[in-house]
Amino acid sequence: MMLALKLAFKNLLGAGLRTWLNVSVLSFAFVLIIFFNGMIDGWNRQGRKDTIAWETGKGQFWHPEYDRYDPYTIQASNGLMSDEILKETESKRLVPILVVQATAFPQGRSLAVILKGIDPMLTVLELPVSVLSSDNGIDYAVIGKRMAEAAKLKVGDKLLIRWRDKNGTFDAREIQIAEVFKCDVPGADNGQIYLSLQTLQEMMELKNHATYLVAGEEFEDRELENWVFRDLDFLLEDFNKIISAKKAGGSIMQIFMLLIALIAIFDTQVLSIFRRQKEIGTYIALGMTRMQVVGIFTVEGGAHSILATILGAMYGIPLFLFLNKVGISFGVGQGMDITLAETIYPYYSIRLIISTILLVVVSATIVSYLPSRKISKMKPTDALKGKLQ
Amino acid sequence: MRKVVVLFVALISFAAFTSPDAKEILDKVDRNMSSKNRIFESSMIIHGRRATRTINSISYSVGNKKSFTEYLSPAREQGTKMLKLEDKLWIYSPSTDRIIQISGHMLRQSVMGSDLSYEDMLDDRKLTEVYTSTLAGKEKLGDRDVFVLDLVAKVDDVAYFAQKIWVDAERFVPLKQELFAKSGQLLKRTEFSDVKQVQGRWFPMTIVYKDMLKEGSGTEFRITSIKFDQEIPEYLFSKASLKK
Amino acid sequence: MIRFIFKGVIRDKSRSLIPVIIVSAGVFLTVFLSSYFAGVFGDMIDLSARFTTGHVKVVTRAYAENEDQMPLDLALLEVGSLKTQLNAAYPDMEWVERIHFGGLLDVPDENGETRAQGPAIGTAIDLLSPGSTEIARMSIQESIAKGSIPSKPGEALISEGFAQKFAVSVGDEITIFGSTMNGSMMFKTFIISGTLNFGNAFLDRGAVFIDLRDAQLALDMEDASSEILGYFNDGVYNDAKALQVTESFNSSYNVPEDEFSPQMMRLVDQNELGQYLSLAEHMSSIFILVFVMAMSIVLWNTGLLGGLRRYSEYGIRLALGEEKKHIFYTTLLEAAIIGVIGSVFGTVLGLAGAYYLQTYGLNLSGMMDNVGMMMPAVLRSKITPELFYIGFFPGVIATVFGNALAGYAIYKRKTSRLFKELEV
Repeated sequence: MMLALKLAFKNLLGAGLRTWLNVSVLSFAFVLIIFFNGMIDGWNRQGRKDTIAWETGKGQFWHPEYDRYDPYTIQASNGLMSDEILKETESKRLVPILVVQATAFPQGRSLAVILKGIDPMLTVLELPVSVLSSDNGIDYAVIGKRMAEAAKLKVGDKLLIRWRDKNGTFDAREIQIAEVFKCDVPGADNGQIYLSLQTLQEMMELKNHATYLVAGEEFEDRELENWVFRDLDFLLEDFNKIISAKKAGGSIMQIFMLLIALIAIFDTQVLSIFRRQKEIGTYIALGMTRMQVVGIFTVEGGAHSILATILGAMYGIPLFLFLNKVGISFGVGQGMDITLAETIYPYYSIRLIISTILLVVVSATIVSYLPSRKISKMKPTDALKGKLQ
Repeated sequence: MRKVVVLFVALISFAAFTSPDAKEILDKVDRNMSSKNRIFESSMIIHGRRATRTINSISYSVGNKKSFTEYLSPAREQGTKMLKLEDKLWIYSPSTDRIIQISGHMLRQSVMGSDLSYEDMLDDRKLTEVYTSTLAGKEKLGDRDVFVLDLVAKVDDVAYFAQKIWVDAERFVPLKQELFAKSGQLLKRTEFSDVKQVQGRWFPMTIVYKDMLKEGSGTEFRITSIKFDQEIPEYLFSKASLKK
Repeated sequence: MIRFIFKGVIRDKSRSLIPVIIVSAGVFLTVFLSSYFAGVFGDMIDLSARFTTGHVKVVTRAYAENEDQMPLDLALLEVGSLKTQLNAAYPDMEWVERIHFGGLLDVPDENGETRAQGPAIGTAIDLLSPGSTEIARMSIQESIAKGSIPSKPGEALISEGFAQKFAVSVGDEITIFGSTMNGSMMFKTFIISGTLNFGNAFLDRGAVFIDLRDAQLALDMEDASSEILGYFNDGVYNDAKALQVTESFNSSYNVPEDEFSPQMMRLVDQNELGQYLSLAEHMSSIFILVFVMAMSIVLWNTGLLGGLRRYSEYGIRLALGEEKKHIFYTTLLEAAIIGVIGSVFGTVLGLAGAYYLQTYGLNLSGMMDNVGMMMPAVLRSKITPELFYIGFFPGVIATVFGNALAGYAIYKRKTSRLFKELEV
């Protein structure tokens, strides 16, 4: 085997230009596969990270009636937090959020909005809501950039909102936009207005009530009575679907990319077997079995992939490191309800790299083997003479 | 805003102390406006952003708890019926032969694009049951002398925390009504006009509802004929009668 | 001369068939993949174009301002004549009407009374006219979970999620309750013809699809629609063209004083898709460039190998006294012929494949679990003008170049070595 490898590399390097052409094509395929997957993985990781940081935490406890996609359930879907939960919220391991449906009236239009009461001192989520704690008689609110654009609002603007308290009594109040935040997570932004939890509880006459609780890293995993735990798989369902769709789409592209490189190797293999019949005949004459000769040629073809890996690494590693540093700017993906960071930093996992190398090596070896099978059907005497067969 | 509310409430209590006859005024209004039952035909004029529509209907009601309305025109609405029993509401559509119950969130939707919600139509309690009333003063509204009453909710489950009502001092008919949020924000205004005497009572024949937070010129409700204390068969107020 | 070489190429299968196949295959892959890249990177744009933004979209200005509320009262009127005018003015585009409405889905019991209710998000598109392009555009067939697409008026598709939640199934009746364009109450009973998986948790609650005609009748929207979407006939968003169409339309139809006059918006004007679009184009051109390079190398390689295979032939020809220059010249001509034939084949095949994928898409849903129509589970390619030459020129040039490199060896030939090769 060692001999075969040594021989293979000698032969390949000896063939010069042709080998390098094949190798460079294969290395392109190799680098592109890693790049594309790295990009998707980077998107996935960032998306998950951002969603966890801005919206979901490491999981959420929902009031059993709460359904984030059904606004009609909101009114009835909040509950009193037990002492155990309150203790957790005081130590900031759980963030209680009260959700209320309301109507906002920006510039005489009416707009259905979701009010979210949140602890201004929270540490579990990155929402910049500390400004909500100021107590100067003004009801401050924080909104996201998407909401600000939809309602045509900016910092300092006043907005009239109307809602109904727990008894169904109408109430209306003017709030002032204290901050507009920018985040990649549409779910933390679209149609939502953040108020201080205490203010919203007062507005609703729902002291110590919450709709759901966001668990932070430090929260010790356990069940909470009367609350349903929603894990990240549940909370990130739509996002995960997009990623898997992207991956599936990418895999087709990779197959094609690889295919073109493999055609080159196949072609080379066919020709080299055709041209080196004398050599093949000599090997057999020297006492090698046909399968051994097939092995030599297969290894030789397959060795393209090893050279490709090395070549790919030579220009790929600096390229990847560069891309990882500067990132790939996607601009604002805000129009789409998809968590997509403005700049994606590709993520290249060891698993991705190893599996790609394996894929390239195995497939290159297989296409090298296919033409080599012809050798086993050759007549050694004719081969030795170099007669066309 | 909250200070305004406090002040508002304080004023009301002060007024309550000096004018004990606010309840009396409301009782008189009640006697004038409500009856054992009534049948009326009306037109609702809805001003949309693009067009104005008039919807004619006939309504039968007994007290505040039961009512049955049949829409007469335009053709699109003809035969649509609405039944209200206590706090439940059903709508029947002849085109689909279906009875749909309006409940939960739907109750808050506007009725046919008007400034009234289904819920507004369901609120059937007497003002005196829900509000503590005080006489805030006497003033002129147009050329009529009016009592101004301030009403503050005394029960929890009420849509509007406070109201202000201008009552004709002579005829005991409300001429204007304003509905407020807990914060004191004006939410809706209703104006009553065209007051006529029917079967010995004074009754406003035109009512204009206006949602003060929305743009637009409100919804006009015109009573074309009204009869009090009629014979209304009991079966009318059943779901079975919707399909007839 | 060319005819002679051409005959040679055609008759000698070993000289023609394999190289032509390889060139075709390479060019095919280049063309096809280029279209595919454009599709992969543009799929978010494409999705948005298909479902919400169109390539261009016509709505009233008042509607545009309140679009998220689906305000039917602000809809476009006289859409029939508007569509006729649009078709006449921009014949290379397809114009379709759609209606979006909110309401209540109400499930009756045996007495026709409410058994269950849920909020409905309604979409009305042309489902019934023969040759309607909307079904394919919205991947409805692929997203059907149970049953089938409505085949006659009065049928509706509802989300599978709703069907399960309220225990209704294909063939059952369901009433949509809402308000018409004029604000009247709208009741309309539909028979469920099928259920849909949307792959979007929100829509899976209560989405309902009905035919446009049904909606117009039920919602009192005779000759009206929420929007008219315009699609370029080739299915591909072209910003320059869109801008031109939008400007010419708005200058003649949009009246600044009339908030109900129609206004046209490009895809990139909506939902901030502009930046994403330019990025997608960037990415796909990088991928295409790399791919074309790789392909050229393969073809060059093939050309080179093709030339090398024929060393013996060159030897004989040299021995017969043919001039080196002439051999080289004929080799190049041959390569050019092979390159052109292969590239023409490859381009045609590639375009055909791209067209197929653009029209029908490649359904990947088997590779993902539980996806629906909102996911780009169906991959589509995108035919762009570049496709016509992106494979062709590299195909020809690389083949000729590869052969040239191989043929160059002729000049290095020594006559003494020739006879060795002639031993064959």
